[in-house]
Amino acid sequence: MLLALIILLPFIGVLLPVWFHRHGRTACAWATALPPALGLVLLFSQAPAVLAGEVRRFSLNWIPELGLNLAFRLDGLSFLFCLLILAIGLLVILYGRYYLSSDDPMGKFFALLLLFMGAMLGVVTANNLLLLVLFWEATSLSSFLLISYWNGRSDARRGARMALTVTGAGGLAMLAGVLLLGHVVGSFDLDVVLASGELIREHAWYPVILVLILLGIFTKSAQFPFHFWLPHAMSAPTPVSSYLHSATMVKAGVFLLARLYPALSGTELWFILVSMVGLITMTLGAVTALFKHDLKGLLAYSTISHLGLVTLLFGLDTRLAVVAALFHIMNHATFKASLFMAVGIVDHETGTRDMRLLSGLRKYMPMTAMLGLIAAGAMAGVPLLNGFLSTEMFLGEAVAQRVLGGWSWVIPVVAVFAKVFSVAYSIRFIHSVFYGPSQPEALPKPPHEAPFFMRAPILILVGLCLLVGIVPNLIIGPLLAAAATTTLASPLPYYSLAIWHGWNLPLLMSMVAMVLGTVAYLNFARLLRLWERLPAVNAMDAFENFVHDVVIVRARQVTGRLENGSLQHYLSLLILGTVVVAASGLWGLERLNGGVPLSALDPPSVAIALIMMVTAIYSAIWHHERIAALMFLSVVGLGMALIFARFSAPDLALTQLSVEIVTIVLLMLILFLLPPRSPNDSTYAHVVRDGLVATSAGIGVGVLAYTVLTRPQQTISDYFIQNSVTGGGGTNVVNVILVDFRGFDTFGEITVMAIAAIGIFGLLDGMRLFDPKKDPNVQWASDKYPLLLLILNMPVLPLALMVAVYIFLRGHNMPGGGFIAGLIVAIALILQYLANGLRWSNNRMQWDYHPLVGAGVLLAGLTGLGSWSFGAPFLTSAHDHFHIPLLGEIELATAMLFDIGVFLAVVGATLLILANLGKLKSLDTASEENR
Amino acid sequence: MSTEVALPVFIPLLAGVLSLMLWRSRKWQRRLAVLATGLLLASTLWLLRSTLDQGYVVMQLGGWAAPFGITLVADLLSAVMAVITGLIGFAVALYSLGTIPDRHEKFGYYPLMHLLLAGVAGSFLTGDIFNLFVWFEVMLLASFALLTLGGERAQMEGAIKYVTLNLFSSALFLSAIGLTYGLTGTLNMADLAYKLSQVEHTGMVNVVALMFMISFGIKAAAFPLFFWLPASYHTPQVAVSALFAGLLTKVGVYALYRLFTLVFVGDTGYTHTILLWSAALTMLTGVLGAAAQFEFRRILSFHIVSQIGYIMLGLALFTPLALLGGVFYLVHNIIAKTNLFLISGLTYRLLGSYDLKKLGGVYRERPGIAILFLISALGLAGIPPLSGFFAKFLLIRAAVEIEAWMAVVVALTVSFMTLYSMIKIWAQVFWKPVPDAVDATRLRSRERDPGMFWLLTPIIGLAALVVLFGVWAEPLYQVARDAAEQLLNPAGYIEAVLGVTP
Repeated sequence: MLLALIILLPFIGVLLPVWFHRHGRTACAWATALPPALGLVLLFSQAPAVLAGEVRRFSLNWIPELGLNLAFRLDGLSFLFCLLILAIGLLVILYGRYYLSSDDPMGKFFALLLLFMGAMLGVVTANNLLLLVLFWEATSLSSFLLISYWNGRSDARRGARMALTVTGAGGLAMLAGVLLLGHVVGSFDLDVVLASGELIREHAWYPVILVLILLGIFTKSAQFPFHFWLPHAMSAPTPVSSYLHSATMVKAGVFLLARLYPALSGTELWFILVSMVGLITMTLGAVTALFKHDLKGLLAYSTISHLGLVTLLFGLDTRLAVVAALFHIMNHATFKASLFMAVGIVDHETGTRDMRLLSGLRKYMPMTAMLGLIAAGAMAGVPLLNGFLSTEMFLGEAVAQRVLGGWSWVIPVVAVFAKVFSVAYSIRFIHSVFYGPSQPEALPKPPHEAPFFMRAPILILVGLCLLVGIVPNLIIGPLLAAAATTTLASPLPYYSLAIWHGWNLPLLMSMVAMVLGTVAYLNFARLLRLWERLPAVNAMDAFENFVHDVVIVRARQVTGRLENGSLQHYLSLLILGTVVVAASGLWGLERLNGGVPLSALDPPSVAIALIMMVTAIYSAIWHHERIAALMFLSVVGLGMALIFARFSAPDLALTQLSVEIVTIVLLMLILFLLPPRSPNDSTYAHVVRDGLVATSAGIGVGVLAYTVLTRPQQTISDYFIQNSVTGGGGTNVVNVILVDFRGFDTFGEITVMAIAAIGIFGLLDGMRLFDPKKDPNVQWASDKYPLLLLILNMPVLPLALMVAVYIFLRGHNMPGGGFIAGLIVAIALILQYLANGLRWSNNRMQWDYHPLVGAGVLLAGLTGLGSWSFGAPFLTSAHDHFHIPLLGEIELATAMLFDIGVFLAVVGATLLILANLGKLKSLDTASEENR
Repeated sequence: MSTEVALPVFIPLLAGVLSLMLWRSRKWQRRLAVLATGLLLASTLWLLRSTLDQGYVVMQLGGWAAPFGITLVADLLSAVMAVITGLIGFAVALYSLGTIPDRHEKFGYYPLMHLLLAGVAGSFLTGDIFNLFVWFEVMLLASFALLTLGGERAQMEGAIKYVTLNLFSSALFLSAIGLTYGLTGTLNMADLAYKLSQVEHTGMVNVVALMFMISFGIKAAAFPLFFWLPASYHTPQVAVSALFAGLLTKVGVYALYRLFTLVFVGDTGYTHTILLWSAALTMLTGVLGAAAQFEFRRILSFHIVSQIGYIMLGLALFTPLALLGGVFYLVHNIIAKTNLFLISGLTYRLLGSYDLKKLGGVYRERPGIAILFLISALGLAGIPPLSGFFAKFLLIRAAVEIEAWMAVVVALTVSFMTLYSMIKIWAQVFWKPVPDAVDATRLRSRERDPGMFWLLTPIIGLAALVVLFGVWAEPLYQVARDAAEQLLNPAGYIEAVLGVTP
């Protein structure tokens, strides 16, 4: 529990700085320091046990079935890292308090810092690989937000994006690797994974797992060829650079190398990959660092180089190399964090970090100069400082290893080469900033010493460098031993943390490097000229160009080909695709004919079919002549009605007939507003293409229908015929199906009608069209309101209403019903409009049609709901016989109420559409009436 | 009697027609919108409760036994989808109060919104393939009407593509229903599944299955059938976009899930392989399309396509874990995606644009909104511990288990590019200083904007869910697991509907 608390404390405390921000900056810093300080106390309370080799565990179920638990472990390795994270974190908070200016939102900064701290603690203590990945992503993210803390600056935004892109991609690779690893081992529990090294290394997936996880590690720890993000992350405030990008976050990668060492290491592949990447990174970083003029740029490349050194050590095949790696991780964290802080002071008090401007600052900030000198000495590996000890160990192992077989001598040689540059840039760092002639006038701000509390963290860290350098065993002996024991998962090899090991090869190599490094610095100007002759690559630009090219240009090419904005293009693709798919399915059939004999052809059917085919073709050919095309189309529709009648479906025939009339009339009204011909703008090739597409689709549907219809089938329709009277109270099966068996469908469909009406109402709103240019060759009737139509029309309405009532009432037993009745009324009303003009009709029918439509659907719905009050399912119908005076015996079913709803909805929707089509032309009508 | 399975359809339907009756009173329409969507949410929660207890909730409409009448049936997948419908409906209704202009209200925004929800809920709860078609039509027309409300030119262009391609899908759907009826003589999905499991699987069944697949693929905006979506989703009011983004394509995916776990499971080697390739290509083309965009809602629209691919992947892999992941992803994605659309409306309100180049400075001026965006966007990109991480993780793990490496690589790549895309929006809208030419008085104004309450409440609520389903993923995980189990065992569904054991 205590263990979980250490990790949770920073998360719990995230809001502290935000809250205390209003009480001043010092209060804010104190509040922020509280969680890590407490955490440190808790950590030390565990120290005796952990240093004695115990492993403290804590576990809480999260999603156990997924193998994801909130499991933490505190062993030597995680203790070492927790200590670094918490202690340096505290120092950075103190430093940050004085570093941030009063304009910077401090609460936000410290909150993010705590968030990062918690995530980082999670990474190093997670005892479950999935949990580790989770925290890993969280560190990338909080780092992203911290780098871009000054988000008004474009370099900060770009640097942050690049860092997140690179580490995020690596994180995903790692997630894949961890998934594979978990699949191989059968658990994500770190205890199990670490114990299954043998199994993992012998598995066929091992190379893939290793490469994926290493991708995660190398991106995070800025190893070649992914190192380029780190220098650009330097646009972060210096406390962030010092904490995340030198002491802790970039160490997460090498931490994982140590953590998974027992599980993954020990193979040829591991040694080659890890050591080579480390070697290249170390050299590249050291060389580049020397030529950076920006102080933070120098430190960034130096960090890359030192991380490469650590990686290289993990890739060497001697067990002592691991001890050296862990030792160097600690040392690097102390001296590099203090160097960053020193640079921050220089930047803060002079306004620049450019070494070409800075000079002789020793006079103005003697204390900072002193501290910087010692820390840089540690970086260069000067004796009596901690960096010297781990460098010696490194050189010793570089000589001892046999990774490359006969070529193994390459590694120590390259190591010395990198060391030379490391010495040279350390000298440059100190000499060019603090020594030489002082020229304060060249600086943006007059230089002066920083406040004491800003220097205090550096003082502490530098003190540690010295102490470790002089009495290593006393200070970190047990800690290093505990960490190394965990990493190696076996008793430690013998090593001695002494300052003096006698005259030996590593010491000689060190001295050679020191001398050559000094020589290199003395010849810096010459080297710089050589360096500048190399082609300069700006990683940021290269990266962004790459992303732009891959993501945007290629993406446009790919999507542009498919998605070009043309509806014809989309439709032809869809139809062709469907045809191909259906055809490929049919290909597998032995034969299309399923065996049911075809019925004989009779003259009426053939005639209807021929008429429909011919008119359909004509409507396609004459589609530019809109009226003509519509006429042909209406013939097709009437043909459908005849087909329904021919195959004994009088209800459908009636419905089709009335629907056809309403649609055609409405379409005619619209066509009046459009130019009589549509422009001809398709090329001949297009016409051929579209013709082929349409024909193939038509043939396809025909073949499918033929295939299905010639197969024997049994359907549920017999049930409907049997139950229509007894269950639904009607002899017209079609109507009973519509209002009872499948009343829910009808209910949905009248809703569709209602929506269509509202939609058209909304669509036509505000649209005002003038009369289109009339074709002078077409003769228009001079009589606006033909007398014959007017007179004949008078009796039609009452007659139609009567017919509608009749059709409605008989519907349950004979062809008819609410839908058809509604359409009949609608047709009669349309006729009124046609005969008398829109204005006349609208004046006489000033209802609000929306509530009418609503009432129809509502009535249908309520009828259905009524059954609920009787405890029956929705839409359950009841029917009985009633005796009504004059009319006699009549059978009424509740379904009829439902049918009334249908009727109302149909009438309302049609009128709503009609009235609004009328409004479209009101401008024109008004002008006519005024004439 | 299982009232709860019908309520989620009837509440919005009745609310829709009541709003029609209240055509003149926009005040009451607004009140009804909140009340009815609230009731809808409550009823769906009731349904979920019953489904968790009983496994299946069935109502034979009109008292006609299946397969003769129409059956309403909820298994866990349906119930979960219904709950999400209620949730999104409620959130969007609240949001609408603060954003929908008078003009849109006057022309039937609220009735259409209710009817759209009814269509969505009906599609999730019906057990009849023709009835599914009917609800698809309700949805299609309501969405078309909502899409054209306002009648701007860009809207019309998008809407015409939208309605044409969707009508093609409907025609195909209807033909497939006709052929299915010709082959089996039934429309009830459980009965269909039963009958098809009894006979030998012929090539004809595969043809029909593929026709359904194409039709639903168009609705779901799967590759290569997605053209209509990015052409239209960025044109209407944000509340409408959000509603569409959350629910519409998901109905298509749901239909795929329903038919290809229940009915067409006789030749999964054939059908689900096609689904797998389509899923992978959908993920890729969607995310690539998004990369080239610089309009807030268009970026999000392309990501809808890409994430449909993930959900289809769950179906295509067809293992318990994969289906679990698919269901989890569905829930997560609807919430996160809807919320991102809602947030795009928020920044529009503050800065008057959806163009990334004309936005900026929100992080500095309104850090709260920035955090809400970050939660939803990172959730969408699958960053732990937000809901999207588990969704993505489950699917990738399912792919690893059956060694579908292509799917693993594509899913990881796409998730990375999604993150990149979200960061692009973040950098442009939130970090970048306000561009000079942009009027930011509203952004900087310290006066209280009372309308903001209606915008922020649903956004905060949905963002909280994105966090909750990540940090406390266990309950959703278990529901999704049980839903997947039901999907892989169609016998339970058939028995619940038909009352016979196949």
